[in-house]
Amino acid sequence: MKKVMQWIMLSCKKATALIEKKLLVKLSFREKVQLKMHKSFCDACTAYEKQSKLIDKLLSKHIHEDVDKIKNGKVVENAELKKRILDKIK
Amino acid sequence: MEAAEYQNDPATVIKEWVDKYSDKLYSWCLYKTNSKEIAEDLVQDTFMAAFQAINKFEGKSDPKTWLFSILNNKIADHFRKLYRNPTVKESEVKQGTEASFFETYFDTRGSWQKEQRPNDWQQEDGHLLDNTIFVKVLQSCMSKLSPDCYSAVQLKYLEEKKGEIICQELQITPTNFWQILHRARLQLRRCLEINWFKK
Repeated sequence: MKKVMQWIMLSCKKATALIEKKLLVKLSFREKVQLKMHKSFCDACTAYEKQSKLIDKLLSKHIHEDVDKIKNGKVVENAELKKRILDKIK
Repeated sequence: MEAAEYQNDPATVIKEWVDKYSDKLYSWCLYKTNSKEIAEDLVQDTFMAAFQAINKFEGKSDPKTWLFSILNNKIADHFRKLYRNPTVKESEVKQGTEASFFETYFDTRGSWQKEQRPNDWQQEDGHLLDNTIFVKVLQSCMSKLSPDCYSAVQLKYLEEKKGEIICQELQITPTNFWQILHRARLQLRRCLEINWFKK
């Protein structure tokens, strides 16, 4: 029983690392079981996963919305740079 | 414009594009890199690359789209470089503080430090990004990340590539990459909780 527990148990530090890993690559069977077990008794890490997913969604959306905003207006002008590049093209 | 025009007089065409698009490209690049010098260099490189490769531009796509895709490659290159070769000082600091970084968040047994435990965020996503104050908080939290964390986050979302591909391009193992993202996420989450969700 002790061995089974050791195979399954995770610290919060490791659980949050697995949550990050899960957002990037597929988890192994053991990792999936470990994470599921851990979350079943840890409210903090359950909240952490929810929030990580939200931050993930916000960042990816934010970065793409921004490029659209800049492409369609809202610019910082840099006349000096423009001149510098124009001088280089001959 | 006919395809022939691009080949006969590329300088005129490029100059026209510089006039029309350089501010937009610069604005985007400045926002991404947070550095005037780097943004100026990358935009200049973009136009030089476009000038060299203009015969590959077929006039079928929008020049703005083409230029942005060249620039985005340059920005990704920049972050890859920054990620791979942080200055010596930074990498020393990184090694020295790896343990103390996690001490802030977790105790010696790896459990959350009491005051760091994530609380439920009452407010759900909804239209957070429509809120300009929230966007400012998000940007300020991002800017507090160390260069390697910041670069990792940018690379993850800039290109929308699969994790494995980003790691291949960085010539690092996926383990390294998600460990850095783990540190970035802990910081961002904490910063957003303090500056936004607790209010």
